[in-house]
Amino acid sequence: MLKRHFREFSVLGVLLSVLALLGVFAPDFFAPQPLLSRLTAAAPKLVVACGIAMVMISRQIDISVGSLFAVCSVVCGLLAAAKMPVPLAIASAIAAGAIGGALNGVLVAGLRLPSIVVTLATMVTLREGLRLARQGVFIDLPDGLQWIGLPMIGGQYLVCGIALTVLAAMAAVMRHLAIGRAVYAVGSDAEAARLAGIRPRLITFVVFVLMGALTGLAAVMNVVQSPQVDPNTGRMLELEAIAAAVVGGVAVSGGRGNLGGVLVGFLLLACITPALTYIGVKPYWDKAIQGAVILLAVVADGLRNRKNGR
Amino acid sequence: MNLPPKTRMLLRHETVLLAVLVAEFLFFGVAGRNFGTPDNLANIVRHSVEIGLLALVMMPVVLAGGIDLSVGSTLGLCAVLFGKLWRDGGLHWEVAAVATLGIGATAGGVNALLITTLRLPPLIVTLGTYSLFRGLAEAITHGTDAFTRFPPTFLFLGTGRIAGIPAQAWIFVSVAVAMWLLVHRTTFGRSWRAIGFAPEGARYAGLPVGRRLAFAHVLAGTVAALAAITYTARFGTAKADAGTGYELAAITAVVLGGTSIFGGIGSVHGTLLGVAAIAVLGNGLSRVPATMSNAGELSGLLTGVLLVLALAGGAVPKWFVDRRSRKDPAPVLP
Amino acid sequence: MFRSFALFLCVGLALLTGCSRSGPDTGAAPSGGAPAGKRLTIAFMPKSKGNGYFVSCKQGADQAAKDLGAELIFDGPVSPDPAKQNEIIENWITLGVDVIAVACENKDGISTALKRAKDKGIKIVTFDSDAEPATRDFFVNQATPEGIGNALMDEAARLCGGTGEFAIITASLTAQNMIEWQKFIEARRMAKHPGMKMVALRPCDDLKDKAQAEATTLLGAYPHLKLLMNICSPAVPGAAEAVKQAGKAGKVKVIGLGLPNENRRYLKDGTTDTVILWKTVDLGYLTVQAAAALAKGELKAGATSFKGGKLGEFRIVGDNILLGEPFKFTKENIDQFDF
Repeated sequence: MLKRHFREFSVLGVLLSVLALLGVFAPDFFAPQPLLSRLTAAAPKLVVACGIAMVMISRQIDISVGSLFAVCSVVCGLLAAAKMPVPLAIASAIAAGAIGGALNGVLVAGLRLPSIVVTLATMVTLREGLRLARQGVFIDLPDGLQWIGLPMIGGQYLVCGIALTVLAAMAAVMRHLAIGRAVYAVGSDAEAARLAGIRPRLITFVVFVLMGALTGLAAVMNVVQSPQVDPNTGRMLELEAIAAAVVGGVAVSGGRGNLGGVLVGFLLLACITPALTYIGVKPYWDKAIQGAVILLAVVADGLRNRKNGR
Repeated sequence: MNLPPKTRMLLRHETVLLAVLVAEFLFFGVAGRNFGTPDNLANIVRHSVEIGLLALVMMPVVLAGGIDLSVGSTLGLCAVLFGKLWRDGGLHWEVAAVATLGIGATAGGVNALLITTLRLPPLIVTLGTYSLFRGLAEAITHGTDAFTRFPPTFLFLGTGRIAGIPAQAWIFVSVAVAMWLLVHRTTFGRSWRAIGFAPEGARYAGLPVGRRLAFAHVLAGTVAALAAITYTARFGTAKADAGTGYELAAITAVVLGGTSIFGGIGSVHGTLLGVAAIAVLGNGLSRVPATMSNAGELSGLLTGVLLVLALAGGAVPKWFVDRRSRKDPAPVLP
Repeated sequence: MFRSFALFLCVGLALLTGCSRSGPDTGAAPSGGAPAGKRLTIAFMPKSKGNGYFVSCKQGADQAAKDLGAELIFDGPVSPDPAKQNEIIENWITLGVDVIAVACENKDGISTALKRAKDKGIKIVTFDSDAEPATRDFFVNQATPEGIGNALMDEAARLCGGTGEFAIITASLTAQNMIEWQKFIEARRMAKHPGMKMVALRPCDDLKDKAQAEATTLLGAYPHLKLLMNICSPAVPGAAEAVKQAGKAGKVKVIGLGLPNENRRYLKDGTTDTVILWKTVDLGYLTVQAAAALAKGELKAGATSFKGGKLGEFRIVGDNILLGEPFKFTKENIDQFDF
């Protein structure tokens, strides 16, 4: 267990020591209400990171999620502002995400174009198209949308609950269901998977559609946390999500990684920036420390691989 | 595909891209205001030198099957350190510039070390250094310190002209020619191609895979430092945010230029065409009355569309050929 | 391979020479001042596109251009690349615009490009944030960095009763004009309000959601915090929402530079105390009016007043056209504004 999941456990070790240090030097970090608020704010990123992990396990990548996230947020906001019932507005946002994902899927699986280039193209196209259409003006939401009409605490538990449910469901699917194993199979060796009766292109398409739908869901989970939509939202989200997956042990070369690792990687990266604020580190160290953490996480793995003569 | 050689030459990526570039020139020459003036052409060149330099050295990295997301941050770090050496270190700018090249090489060396000795994926290593190098630039300057008031002899590099051509264009052309020779006329280029095509095969064929990859990354760092110098000379200011987002612009140009993101296929002249196609599009859109108020958004949007079309243009005929041969060939997912 | 490279070079060169030959007759070269009868071309540049603040400036600018019958080009950076403003100005020089109005992101950096434009006879007006004075003709002054810094710091001290901790949320650590504001905020604090203590400065990347997250963290990390000062417009509603959700509305004050529409609900429910801004639509309108007058030669150095179209007379001090003092939006007056 420890040997097989060395990466996940080493990151967990780093996470726990960061938390322990915080417990000593800034115990306020664990005050329940601010902690819940911070987790709620970060929860949409976890959902996107889960999707990215799945995409990476299938040996693809998606860097358009940040732009798609913004498009879905705007779709949800505009429809809700146009008095559409809340459940319909939410469903439409998720559908918009799925459509965006399907577009990537058609180009990647259908035309066999490299996913990094396809999603680079959809990233700029969606972002600039949105800027042309909305010019950055905030959308004011009707009252019923924030926390879906629940009291704030209820809404926060709901958002965090959805994130954990998505994580658990995906972990179960990836581990136990045929389709989840097929994603691993396609990511490890598409040709072998094909010979084993899996349809790699179909799986890839489904993975991208699901990624889009998860992005839409994440956008909704973010929109309900405030009464306005900022159409510039989601900038750099793709890098944060990829970093969380990578630190959590998902391999870019496909076929390796699990959702538990993604949770640990996500928590580590999500707690670093607030932790720096809590212990009073100057903000100009933020990026350097984040970069160093990403590198440390992978270097530990690299050193171990080297020792094992891989 | 069994096509006569002449048709194949016409269908080559570079030829199609050249046609796109010619079409852009013709369209903007007619529809754009003062598009074809020598001053404007000089502008196009001046504004694309940094991204062009980064694309030129990104190309071998991609050709060898890697990627470098850190070049924009390396540019930022080098710009800041160049300013620091010149202003606070009291060095002559020429000396500071040479030292900066060394710093860039070191930054590339860090990437190379992690990628080759630890066998870590380049995407992840350079994602880390992307954040780390930018973060160091911010930490050194506290984000706020700006280096400015450089001597006129230095600013000439970014704003002056030599023989009627922007000064930095000479640097760019020299690097472009050198890169062309390196990639297309030396064993280095051939080995990058081989490594990108089949890394294990290259290893068994006795190629020093690690050293060749390391060289590509050190080269990328060095030229990113060179780009930092031309950037600072053009803009007149060096701050920690220099070159933000340039890595994606460079990758876009390389891929649009026909280099396969999986490695093994690509050309330097294709990359140059990719840089030119994007630069001309952006400049041209800002001169057509109908688009001049949306030039920024439209050039991003159309670059994205162009990228997909350029790739699909190669993929669609292949798809039909595959269909006709009625067998599901081995999937070529990355 | 080599042949195709050579072919490509030849075609490229042929194209370049062909185009440059056809160049001069495709349009009039830029010259100082527009000749009578020709439609005036005014280029108007925000610090960045996709920002609500500049969208409202554009409303005024469009109106003024319509009133004047002038052509207005509105373009600016869409990427966070600080050199982009220079590139756009250099492109406008060769495009042949009559006058450029620009909100400068980086004072030192942009001055090289503006100087080149001025050398070509193009008139320069700056608005929102100034360039080096020597590189432009007039600055439409809605507030100096010093004025903004003082107003924010004085308002903060007033709300906190002169003592207490406060934190600043900014767009990015490297945004030049925000660095200037922070300098004057700090100078004012030292000089007038030594009882106030700045405990933290956090960047929010100009994103409302990130500002909300940063504010939540600050509220937890600094329990004695009395005020959040937000110096980029998306941060004001973001911080207000965070304060409201933390149940600290009223206990932690929120002030900042922002747009009325984005902050209306928070001003009304008392979460946000004061939003400082100027009438941005008027700023855009006055800037374009001044730019046009400058290009036509109606506005000259040394003038002491300027008639800005339907807005009436404005005072000029030195080379600054004064829009008026920064305006404080509060619960009482917010309903009179819609932008």
